[in-house]
Amino acid sequence: MQISDLPYRDPGVPDARSGPRFLWWLGRNQRANQLVALGWGLLHFCGIAGLPFCVGLGVEAVVDRDGGRLLRAGGLLLLAGAATALGDTMLHRAAVTNWITAAARVQQLLARKTAELGSALTRRVAAGEVVAVSTGDVEKIGWFVEAVSRFLAAAFAVVAICAGLLVLSPALGVVVAVGVPLLALAVLPLLPRATRRADAQREKAGRATELASDTVAGLRVLRGIGGEELFLGRYRDASQEVRQAAVHSARMWSLISAVQVLLPGALLVTVIWYGASLVQDGRIAVGELVTVFSAVATMLYPLRHFEEIAMAYSFSRPSAKRAARVLSLTRDAHTAARSADDSPAAAPGAGAVSAPEPGGDLYDPETGVLAPAGLLTAVVCGDPDLAGRLAERLGGHPAGADASASVLLGGVPLDELTLDQARTLVLVQDKDPVLLSGTLRELLDVPASGQVTAERALTAARCSDVLEALLQSAPDGVTDPMDARITERGRSLSGGQRQRLALARSLVTDPEVLVLDEPTSAVDSHTEARIAEGVAELRRGRTTVVLASSPLLLDRADRVVLVHEGRAAAFGTHRDLLRSDGRYRAVVTRETEEEQRRAATEPVRRDTARPGALAEALRGGHGDGLMGEHGDELMGGLTDRLPDEFSEIEESA
Amino acid sequence: MIGVAPPEHDPAAPETAATLPVGSPATVRRYVGGLLRRHRRAFVVLVAVNAVAVIASMVGPYLLGRVVDDLAAGARELHLGRVTLLFALALAVQTVFVRLVRLRGAMLGEEMLADLREDFLVRSVGLPPGVLERAGTGDLLSRITTDIDRLANAMREAVPQLAIGVVWVGLLFGALAATAPPLALAALLALPVLVTGCRWYFKRAPSAYRSEAAGYAAVAAALTETVDAGRTVEGHRLGRRRIALSERRITEWTAWERYTLFLRSVLFPVINVTFVVILGSVLLIGGYCVLRGWLSVGQLTTGALLAQMMIDPIGLILRWYDELQIAQVSLARLVGVREIEPEAGDPGLAPEGRDVRADEVRFGYREGVDVLHEVSLSVPPGTRMALVGPSGAGKSTLGRLLAGIYAPRAGEVTLGGARLSRMPAERVREHVALVNQEHHVFVGSLRDNLRLARTDAGDAELWTALAAVDAEDWARALEDGLDTEVGSGGTALTPAQAQQIALARLVLADPHTLVLDEATSLLDPRAARHLERSLARVLDGRTVVAIAHRLHTAHDADVIAVVEGGRISELGSHDQLVAADGAYAALWRSWHG
Repeated sequence: MQISDLPYRDPGVPDARSGPRFLWWLGRNQRANQLVALGWGLLHFCGIAGLPFCVGLGVEAVVDRDGGRLLRAGGLLLLAGAATALGDTMLHRAAVTNWITAAARVQQLLARKTAELGSALTRRVAAGEVVAVSTGDVEKIGWFVEAVSRFLAAAFAVVAICAGLLVLSPALGVVVAVGVPLLALAVLPLLPRATRRADAQREKAGRATELASDTVAGLRVLRGIGGEELFLGRYRDASQEVRQAAVHSARMWSLISAVQVLLPGALLVTVIWYGASLVQDGRIAVGELVTVFSAVATMLYPLRHFEEIAMAYSFSRPSAKRAARVLSLTRDAHTAARSADDSPAAAPGAGAVSAPEPGGDLYDPETGVLAPAGLLTAVVCGDPDLAGRLAERLGGHPAGADASASVLLGGVPLDELTLDQARTLVLVQDKDPVLLSGTLRELLDVPASGQVTAERALTAARCSDVLEALLQSAPDGVTDPMDARITERGRSLSGGQRQRLALARSLVTDPEVLVLDEPTSAVDSHTEARIAEGVAELRRGRTTVVLASSPLLLDRADRVVLVHEGRAAAFGTHRDLLRSDGRYRAVVTRETEEEQRRAATEPVRRDTARPGALAEALRGGHGDGLMGEHGDELMGGLTDRLPDEFSEIEESA
Repeated sequence: MIGVAPPEHDPAAPETAATLPVGSPATVRRYVGGLLRRHRRAFVVLVAVNAVAVIASMVGPYLLGRVVDDLAAGARELHLGRVTLLFALALAVQTVFVRLVRLRGAMLGEEMLADLREDFLVRSVGLPPGVLERAGTGDLLSRITTDIDRLANAMREAVPQLAIGVVWVGLLFGALAATAPPLALAALLALPVLVTGCRWYFKRAPSAYRSEAAGYAAVAAALTETVDAGRTVEGHRLGRRRIALSERRITEWTAWERYTLFLRSVLFPVINVTFVVILGSVLLIGGYCVLRGWLSVGQLTTGALLAQMMIDPIGLILRWYDELQIAQVSLARLVGVREIEPEAGDPGLAPEGRDVRADEVRFGYREGVDVLHEVSLSVPPGTRMALVGPSGAGKSTLGRLLAGIYAPRAGEVTLGGARLSRMPAERVREHVALVNQEHHVFVGSLRDNLRLARTDAGDAELWTALAAVDAEDWARALEDGLDTEVGSGGTALTPAQAQQIALARLVLADPHTLVLDEATSLLDPRAARHLERSLARVLDGRTVVAIAHRLHTAHDADVIAVVEGGRISELGSHDQLVAADGAYAALWRSWHG
């Protein structure tokens, strides 16, 4: 596996039963690369181990006044050097490749899992966990998986050097062979505490960064109303806490550094003291002493890998555990089986139900809400949460699918279809649709019927000023608003602008049934009226449900349903209901109770007090001439008549 | 090795125009100079401590050289006890000082880093409100997160480690020269290889690493977004596209990994060759010198061991040098904020009275494109005025001018006869406050979130303010009351509750003039109206300019100004405007049925 071959066409099915199993699975999947790394690692460490022998040989040759042997020692040194260089570079390449392929594989697995979980993520604590795995844990997991082969090579090198020393000079070799395991293990007891302190420091640093970015995010509020000193003081405290935690952590790491100097040094002192006396007794040569000294000094490098693997494991174990937990999440049991595969035949039970014929009514048996095919139905709930739940039900496969009866489209229960089928038939735009970052073109490039162009959708959602705003913030050289970028969640746009772009996206999709939950709550009344007109026009002949409470939207609907205490309580046109139903009037006009009482007792005065209403009454009642002359100018053709619309629908159907 | 060209797509390239300045090299140099001067003492201590540690580390090779000399000369008396003791002593000194170096280095790095991030925030909170409105907070936000993060590594490790590495190499080389001058010259033979290789590498490395890091961040960012947009992704059946996007990000990221790996594939052999050349030339040239009788075997041994020690500091310098280069770019972005002139204003300017007036005001965000055209408006004290009109008509812009956030291009906006744009922001907000749709809840306790408006407010006042905005009920129901941690990571508040907090702050700040830009738009409409009424009782007598999407707000106001196309097209009370039967009347009728 080369880096250039990434991403994997299929990242595979992970063994996510536990953290260690997951690590094992990752390692096993890159066996070949692990072996390559091991091979180069051996060459690298052997080269390194060879260097001191060459130096020893050279010194020996000089002592013996033998120029030829000195040259041979020099030649060997070059050879060892070449092996070191080649081994070092290739080991690094192999190790980095292992790291990257492991990290890429986990990221791919996460991406697939996230797409599979979809809306289930918003209901679970899991959202934070997925992000945590992707941003922090992947690196640690990759580190451990990659470090294994390096560690094995290093371990082999250490054993080989010790064995070589034992052969070369048994007496000194024994000293080294006994000393080395001690060196390898000495700092291990300190590591857990050091990593704990490092974690504490990271956590504090994260907190400080959060405070800083939070302060900056709310800076306009602070500058507008005051309190900068309060927040600066808070940040200074947090920043100083980070500093103290970092120094606290550095104390432990500096202790580890000291131990790493002291123990090998002690071994060196022992080697000099014991070795020199051996030389004096004539039991070993001077060159051998230099070799042993040099070898001990060299061995410190592979020995570091013993510490590294211990650290890598202690860091990656919790990370792997979290990753395994995330990767073993499923959509709730009810839908998991069906969403696992997109082809209906493969899904158990789903084959029994085929998609409804186009042109059926949408009916919710739970609330009794009916959206006739081809019409624009508005649903008034009064309670925003209830409206949200109703919208979700209307799309089928709602959260925490309980025993309640499924919504029917053309008589077919949506919950019985596959998730993909249901989502294709009915698009539910929730209250808080998220704008995904990218260019406007990318935003509007969603799976769609192809019948509605981006331009038409943007016009219907009255987005012209949004396009202007996007162009304004785009870098120089971007002249087409479709190429302008939308930042994450559309943060650079106002709430109303975001809503209109989201609406345009839903309109482009052009599903058989479109359910919109408060699509214009952040849009001003002028624009809202024009959007209502645009949407009604664009969706003519298609089934549309709008959950709303604004009269400007309701007035455009073919049919308005009032949901009261969880049941459809009344239906008719906006104007009918406004006249006939007090509950409806209360929800829609936001009259306070006091006003309602007054309205009930003084109906006549109320009407005559409003010249508009009088004029309207004179012009002939509801559905005709919604506004005065100026209103027509202001809102274009808002005065389309309902009867016309009906006839057109009949034609198109 | 086959060369790898840098990938075409650069994830580190800015996607939106940088809205705030980036520091010039001169500014950055000045800043770094100041930073180093501030920590001069700690720096000197670090270098001194480091020198002691390095010198102590050279005692071993030196003693071994002496022993080898004696042994080679066939000396009978080696004074092994004394040599061992000296070595042990040097080792003890080295141990203690290595510990000190690590610790002092970390302390210095952390202090500089703390200075830097605190400096930056101090500067940021002093930015003029107009700059913030225009630039948005996105650029600033990325500086305080991404750039501070990148700098953290540089300050915490690179600066101290580089200082250590340079001192280390210098001392080793000095020791080599002192032991045997020819050996020092032999070691220098490696210099051309090292210099050539490093120049090639460092010309390419910093920007490549920046792109690589940005590419990796983009992988995580794509996934985070998919998670965040779970419902939207499922509703629009974007799952496959999101997977494809993640994979594209992986391709882009790994392309840069591949490139930087290539760069290192050149650098690593260069370092290794340098090392072997140093060791080899010291051994061979030194050996030749010994054979010629110019050096002793002991000098050669010491020299070879010192040469072997050189790999560590050289590696250290190379390891951290590119980190420093990456940091330089981030530093320029942080320091750039210092180049924005704080709006000095005229501290002597104070309003007399509370009349808010706009006289023939023209204003535009871009050269030559005016959003407001000769708008004149007078708001007498205590008036409640509503601004209504279509999106993009200039309502919010007018509101910001009335709140003193922007200065008009022509004409003037005055409060009590004094120009708002000439007053410092701190003075303006004593009199005028703006609450907009941006309902930021700060991370911290509910108390802190309210107290920012009046730092000396007691709990009783806070509760009164909460009651005034209909927020007392839910606030009382919170488990820890005012101590409840809110904001991201704390107890989640609904957008409506956040908006109530923003309004409660306003009640606490108690300015005599308020500009409310869609201040209740996130509340459920009936609750909004209720809130506006209870707020009206508290704000009785204050001047209120409310920008409204919802017409009931306008209905309740004393005066309504209809803004269309950057001009005020209608002005009057609700009844007057309805009677006039203009645009407002039409809208009202369709609204109210």
